[in-house]
Amino acid sequence: MGSFASLIDGFGTALTPVNLMYAVIGVLLGTAIGVLPGIGAAMAVALLLPVTYGLDPTGAFIMFAGIYYGSMFGGSTTSILLNTPGETAAVVTAIEGNPMAKRGRGSQALAAAAIGHFVGGVIGTLLLVLLAPTVAKLAVGIGAPDFFAIMLLAFISVTSVLGKSRIRGFASLLIGLAIGLIGLDEMTGQQRLTFGSLHLSDGIDVVIVAVALFAVGESLWVAAHLRRIQAEPIPVGRPWLGREDVRRSWKPWARGPFIGFPFGAIPAGGAEIPTFLSYVTERRLSKNKDEWGKGAIEGVAGPEATASASASGTLTSMLTLGLPTTAVAAVMLAAFQQYGIQPGPLLFERESGLVWGLIASLFIALVLLLVLNLPLAPVWAKLLRIPRPYLYAGILFFASVGAYAVSGDVVDLIVLFVIGLLGLAMRRYGLPVLPAVIGVILGPAAEQQLRRALQISDGQVSGLVNTPMSVIVYVVIVAILAWPLIRRLTRRPVDREKIDA
Amino acid sequence: MRANTLLAVLGAIAALLLIPPLLSSGSDDDVGDQVRGLRVLVPNAPGGGYDVTARNAAKAIEEADLSRRIEVFNLPGAGGTVGLGRMVNERGNGKLVMSMGLGVVGAVYTNKSPSSLADTTPIAKLIEEPDIVVVSKDSPYQDIGQLLRAWKADPGALPVGGGSRAGGPDHLAPMLMAKAAGLDPRQVNYVPFDGGGELLASVLGGKIAFGVSGIGEYRDQIQAGELRVLAVTSKDRLPGVNAPTLTESGVDVVFTNWRGMVAPPGITESERTRLVTLFTRLTSSAQWQEVLKRNGWTSAFQPGEEFGRFLAAENDRVASTLKELGLV
Amino acid sequence: MSTSTVERKSWLKEYSELGISVVLAALGVLVLVDAIGLPEIPTERGIGPDVVPIVVGSALILVALLLARDVLRGGKGEAEGGEDIDLSAPGDWRTVLLLAAAFLANVVLIGLVGFPISGTVLFWGAAYALGSRDFVRDPLVAAGLSLVTYFVFNDLLGVSLPGGPLMGVL
Repeated sequence: MGSFASLIDGFGTALTPVNLMYAVIGVLLGTAIGVLPGIGAAMAVALLLPVTYGLDPTGAFIMFAGIYYGSMFGGSTTSILLNTPGETAAVVTAIEGNPMAKRGRGSQALAAAAIGHFVGGVIGTLLLVLLAPTVAKLAVGIGAPDFFAIMLLAFISVTSVLGKSRIRGFASLLIGLAIGLIGLDEMTGQQRLTFGSLHLSDGIDVVIVAVALFAVGESLWVAAHLRRIQAEPIPVGRPWLGREDVRRSWKPWARGPFIGFPFGAIPAGGAEIPTFLSYVTERRLSKNKDEWGKGAIEGVAGPEATASASASGTLTSMLTLGLPTTAVAAVMLAAFQQYGIQPGPLLFERESGLVWGLIASLFIALVLLLVLNLPLAPVWAKLLRIPRPYLYAGILFFASVGAYAVSGDVVDLIVLFVIGLLGLAMRRYGLPVLPAVIGVILGPAAEQQLRRALQISDGQVSGLVNTPMSVIVYVVIVAILAWPLIRRLTRRPVDREKIDA
Repeated sequence: MRANTLLAVLGAIAALLLIPPLLSSGSDDDVGDQVRGLRVLVPNAPGGGYDVTARNAAKAIEEADLSRRIEVFNLPGAGGTVGLGRMVNERGNGKLVMSMGLGVVGAVYTNKSPSSLADTTPIAKLIEEPDIVVVSKDSPYQDIGQLLRAWKADPGALPVGGGSRAGGPDHLAPMLMAKAAGLDPRQVNYVPFDGGGELLASVLGGKIAFGVSGIGEYRDQIQAGELRVLAVTSKDRLPGVNAPTLTESGVDVVFTNWRGMVAPPGITESERTRLVTLFTRLTSSAQWQEVLKRNGWTSAFQPGEEFGRFLAAENDRVASTLKELGLV
Repeated sequence: MSTSTVERKSWLKEYSELGISVVLAALGVLVLVDAIGLPEIPTERGIGPDVVPIVVGSALILVALLLARDVLRGGKGEAEGGEDIDLSAPGDWRTVLLLAAAFLANVVLIGLVGFPISGTVLFWGAAYALGSRDFVRDPLVAAGLSLVTYFVFNDLLGVSLPGGPLMGVL
C-alpha cells in the first residue's frame, strides 16, 4: 500500500514538535473563532490566512487543517447552546441539540457532537487516503440531472419533518421556498422579489434565516410566555454520556460519514443537504420517535458526523482535482496559490511531502479537538446556568452581531427581525419552523439544477433522465412513493382470509 | 442604591465611548507621500478574487514601505454593487479605494445599480487574466476551428459553461466570441456555474461542450493533460500554454478579465495624484513582482486617466452586449 | 357594547389563525405578481426564471385556502411548548414589544453611535424586557460584553464594526 507508507511519512512530518505546535495553535484558534457568531469555517480560514504568512508551507497548512476542523467543532457549540448556528453545516444540529441543552443535557449534546465530529472526521479522512483518486473521478461524473434527482429525493423526505398537521407543515415549507426565491436569478440575471434593493439581490443567506427562525423567533415567543415562577436554572446534569446515550449514538455516528463524504466530494455538494438527509434517516430509523423535536441525541450525533465527513470529502476534491466544492475549499485553494502550490492531479506527485503531512495533521487535529472539546463540554453547558433574561438577551445580542459583522449592513438586521417575527407567528399558530429552513436550503439548489439540466439539453425534457444515476434515483423515489400502496396490496389477501374465516 | 445605579451607568458610558477609540490609537497624519490610514474596500467575500488582490496589494505596499497601516475590509453583495454604492456615498474621502474588476461592470447592469463606475475616480488597473476556451481530453474537438464549425452549425447543441452568472466575465467572453465568429449571441447556450470549481468539474466530466473561464484554477489540469486548451482570449499567446489566440484563429476579439482600484468621487486633485502615485510605485516594487509571480497574474498596469478611458470602453462593450442579449 | 360586537370579537379571537391564511395568500399573490412581471428573455432555454415562482406562488394560495378550511372546521395549530414557555399563562405581548424595541434600537443606533453603545442598549434592553432589574450589574455586564465583542471582532479579527462618535477624535 503506497498510500499508507506515504501516510506514515506524513505523520513523521506532522509530529515534529514545531508542526505539532502549529496544529495546536490552529485548533485553538479555529475553535475560538468558530464559536463566534456569524463566523463560519470559510470566514475563519480567510481571516486567519494572514496569521500563517511567514510560515513554511507545511507548517501553514497544518495550521489551516487545525483551523478548518476546529471552526467546524466550534460552530456546533453555539448551535446547541444558543440555537444560533454559525454556519450552514451546523443548522441541522440546532434542531435536536438545542432542546437537549434546554433540558439540561447540553453537555451530552456537545459530547455527542464532538465524538460525532471525531468519528466522521476519522472515517472521512481514511476514505480520503484510500479512495482519493477514485472518488475524484466519480465526483466529476455527477451532473445536473443527477443532482436534481437527489434534490427530489430530499424533498420527499421532507414529508417526515412536517409535524402533526400536514397542511401547516406544507405552509411552512412553502414559506421557506418563497424566501429562497429572493435574489438575482443567476441564469438570466433577472431580479426576483428584490423590490429594487441591492441588498436582497444575493438572496437571504440560509444561516440568517435559520438564526432568525430558531433564535430570534424563539426569544420573542419565550418573551410572550415566559415562565414567571422563577424556574430553577437549567440543570447541568451528568457531565458525560451515559451508556444509553452511547447505545443510541453509535449507529448514527457510524452512518453519518457515508452520507457526508460523497456529498462533500461532489461539486455543489457541501454540508447542508447531507446533514439534513442524515437527520431524516436517523429520525426514520429511531426507536424513540416521540423524543424527536424535544432533544433526541441521534439528531445531533448523525448530522455532526456527516458534517465532519463532508469536510473530508471537500478536501478530497480540492486536493486531487483542485476543485473547490465549498466556500472553505475556495479559500483554502487561494491559500495554496499564495504559496505557489496548485492543487490538482499533479499535487500528490509534486508536493508529496506536504500533502501527506497535511493529511496526517488532519488526524492529529481530530485527536487534539476531541481531547480539547470533551472536557470542555460540561464547562460550556454551565454557560446555560446564567439567569434567563441574560440568556435570551445574550442570544439576541449574539444573533445580531453575527448578522451584522459579516456584511456590515443594517439591512441584514432588519431581515433578521422580520423573519424572526414570522418565526414568532409560526410558533403561536403551530407551524413547524424546520420545513421553512429546509425549503430555503433545498429550493434554490433544486431549481438551479433543474434549469441547468434543461439548459444543457437545450430544452429537451430527456435531459433530466439521461444518466444512469438519475434513473436509479428516480426508481428509488417511485419505490418509496409506491411502498405504502404495495404494502396495502400485499396485505389485502390476509385481510380477506380473515373475513372468510 | 440610586447612586450606585448612576455610577454604573456613567461608568459604562465612559468605557463605551473611550475604549474603542483608544484601542485604535496611532496617527493617521500623512507623512511625506505616504497615505497613512488608507482603507481598501473589497466588494466581495474574504477569499474571493478582489479580496486576494486587495490583501496582496496592501501587504506589498506595507512591505515595500510605501505606506503604513492599510486596512482591508469586506462589504460584499450584489456582485460588488453594494460596495460600489458605498464608494459613491463616500464622496470626497481621499483615504479609501475599492478593489474591483470587470465583474463589477456587468453587475451594475444586471443588478440595476443606481451608482455606476462612471461616478468613481479611477486610480489604476493592476492585473489581468486571459480567458481560455477549454475542453476535456475526451472531447471530439481537437482545435478551435473544429469547435467553431460545430458551434456555428448548431449553437443550441453545444452548451458553453462559465464560472459567472449572467453579466459576469465568463458570460461575456463567449458572447463576444460568438459575435466575432458571426453567430447571434442570443443563440449561445450559456450555462452558468457557481465559480470556476464547479465549472471545472463539468468540463472534466464532459457535461458541457466547452468552457470559457480564467486560466487560474486550470493550469495544473492542463499540464496533467486532463484538459485541452483550444484558444486563449488575450492579445498574445500565453507562455506555457500551447494554444493560439482567438485573433489568430480568425475570430477578431480580445478579452481579458482585469482588476484594479477606484476611489470615491469628488476627491481633490492632490489626493488623486497621491493615490495614483502610490499604486504606480507599488507596481514597480519587487514585492509586487513577487506577488504577480506567486499568483500567476499578468501585470496590466494603467494609471489614472488611462484606466478611466479603458473603463469607459469596457463599460460600453458590456452594456451593448447585454442589451443585445435582451438582459438589460 | 352591543352583543354583536362582543360576538364578533370572540369569533375573531377564536379564528385568529385565519390571519396566517391571509398572510400565506398575500405572500402567494406577491410571488405570482413578481414572477409575471419578469421580462421575456430571448436567450432562455428550458424553463425561465418565472416558472418556479409561479408554482410556489400558486401552491401558497392553495395552502392558504386549505388552511382556512381547516381552521373554519375547527382545526387548530398547536402553539409550540418548551422548557421556558408557560402556555397556561395568557400571551404577554408587552414583553414582546419591549424586546422588539431593544432589538430595533440596536438597528437604529448602530450607525449613529457605534456598536459598543448600541450593543449595550440591545443587551440591557432585552434583559430588562425579560424581567432583570439589577440596575448596577445589568448595564455593566452589557457594556462589558459589547466591548469585548468589539475588541475581538474589530481589533483581533479585522472585521470592522463602527466604534462610536469619538473614533478619530481622540
